[in-house]
Amino acid sequence: MAQNRGEAAPSAFERIVKGVALLGGVLLITLSVTVVTSVTLRSDLVGAAGVPGDFELVQIATAIAAFCFLPWCQLRRGNIFVDTFTLKLPERWQRRIDAVWDIVYALVMALIAWRLAVGARAAFGTGETSMVLLVPSYLPIGLCAGLAMLVCVSAVVSARRLLRTAA
Amino acid sequence: MSGFAIAITGFGVLLALMALRLPIGLAMMLVGGVGYIQLNGLDPFLNYIRTTPYQIFANYTLSVIPLFVLMGAFAERSGLAGDLFKAASAVVGHRRGGLGMAVIGACTGFGAICGSAVATTATFSRAALPELRRYRYDPGFSCGVVAVGGTLGILIPPSVILVVYAISTEQNIAKLFKAALIPGLMAAAFYCVTIALMTRRHPEWAPAQPRVAWRDRIRPLLGIIPAMVVAIIVVGGIYGGVFTPTEGASVGAFVMLAIGVLRGTLSPSAIREAILQTAETSAMIFAILLGAEIFNAFLALTQVPTAAAEMIAASGFAPYTVLVGLLLFYIVLGGVMDELAMILLTLPVFFPIVTALDFGMPTDDVAIWFGILVLIVVGIGMTCPPIGLNVFVVASLARDVPVTSIYRGVLPFVLSDVVRLGIVVAFPALTLYLVKLLE
Repeated sequence: MAQNRGEAAPSAFERIVKGVALLGGVLLITLSVTVVTSVTLRSDLVGAAGVPGDFELVQIATAIAAFCFLPWCQLRRGNIFVDTFTLKLPERWQRRIDAVWDIVYALVMALIAWRLAVGARAAFGTGETSMVLLVPSYLPIGLCAGLAMLVCVSAVVSARRLLRTAA
Repeated sequence: MSGFAIAITGFGVLLALMALRLPIGLAMMLVGGVGYIQLNGLDPFLNYIRTTPYQIFANYTLSVIPLFVLMGAFAERSGLAGDLFKAASAVVGHRRGGLGMAVIGACTGFGAICGSAVATTATFSRAALPELRRYRYDPGFSCGVVAVGGTLGILIPPSVILVVYAISTEQNIAKLFKAALIPGLMAAAFYCVTIALMTRRHPEWAPAQPRVAWRDRIRPLLGIIPAMVVAIIVVGGIYGGVFTPTEGASVGAFVMLAIGVLRGTLSPSAIREAILQTAETSAMIFAILLGAEIFNAFLALTQVPTAAAEMIAASGFAPYTVLVGLLLFYIVLGGVMDELAMILLTLPVFFPIVTALDFGMPTDDVAIWFGILVLIVVGIGMTCPPIGLNVFVVASLARDVPVTSIYRGVLPFVLSDVVRLGIVVAFPALTLYLVKLLE
């Protein structure tokens, strides 16, 4: 991210994050279609075997969709917090506090991204795969590590936005 | 420091940070992480979060949450809520307070295709509130009815809150959905009685409507068919064991999308909106789930949950005294805290306590029963001052009505909820009967 380049850069970033969230949604809809297909195939009407590995597909897709959604939630500042005790503070100060917590969130997500990346590398080393479809485990874990990094950047972007309006 | 002291300190710091606007999920991650490191060291913690953030989300059962949220987001935009309301008002609209009862009836139907209270409240704030206002219903009363009707979104299965309860206490979602049905229908009946009582005392709140001829009721009644078909497939399928909850939720999201597209109510831009709303809501829940996971790992290291359960079981307090105490604590806490975070934060300690008590029935039954009690308390918390999420949702969509008058409208219904809670506490069979019957 280039710094101090006005409004254009964040809005491009926002489009990317929104696109990632939409991709997560498409993944979720695809998941539901897969499950519906599997249920139909397995039903008495058809009596065939279900979609092979549907169980692990659901697991992998849920994890990836979750990490696709997190950056968008952060950019929209959709995470729940208690504001009952700080309502009397001037809005400027509320924004500054929120910005500090966004930075903390960014650091936590950077830590998680790093650990997930380490986990992905370890899974690559051992050649671990899913049970039925033999999807290499490092692929989804590595993808989630990347998306966790996107959450981290989103938190930094939203902190900057808060500080700019709190000045 | 003993494990107990560390756990108490952890809770204290957590509450203090939350009061300072730290988002709840992040607060639990931070305090849980620091506590974990304190007790077990840095390396075990780094090892722990190498796998946990992926493992907790790569969970077959967890997929139920975004799928039900997506189903609700499609339902919200499908126009089915308006049809349900038209049908219900054709049947009871001519009674005193009838349009209010129609809102409750329609919310009950909508609750069977939507698992979220906020989505149900928002939907009916748009679909029914303008009608109530047009017929000169009292503004505070109308908004109160919609805010309370919105809780039926979670009280009637499917229910996202019950899924969260099931995941965090490792209970069976299908059983919880069965157990919720009778108390949920009781809620709807109690709300209608409350409306009848209130409008008898204040006839000016709810001017009567002309009676609709039976002939003219048939067309609106046909409008409920799509919603009922979806409810029967999804909830019926889960009840009958035809589907796992994940399969039911997948079918539900898919069928709701199909209905919306066929009816022409779900345009591509409405689908985009529904997805983005699902992304935000699910991620909010997921962030709290991840935080709760880390915080609970820390709590488990302090061994406080098991110790507290043993202590209370040995203390000689009557089981019902403990239970009522916990529920009252929830009602108070729900007044100042988000309900989802509240249950995820407290269940690791409260659940072992409750299941260790002797209520004269098997532990599995107690676990299911307690889940429904928690659900009722969550419903109360969503409408109760000072922080009732549903009230805020209605207030944000009906900007001319002051929040205080909405709370005044909500209050009689909250009383009916407390009565219902007492009844379900006194008669566990109300929750367990269907679970046994449908086994």
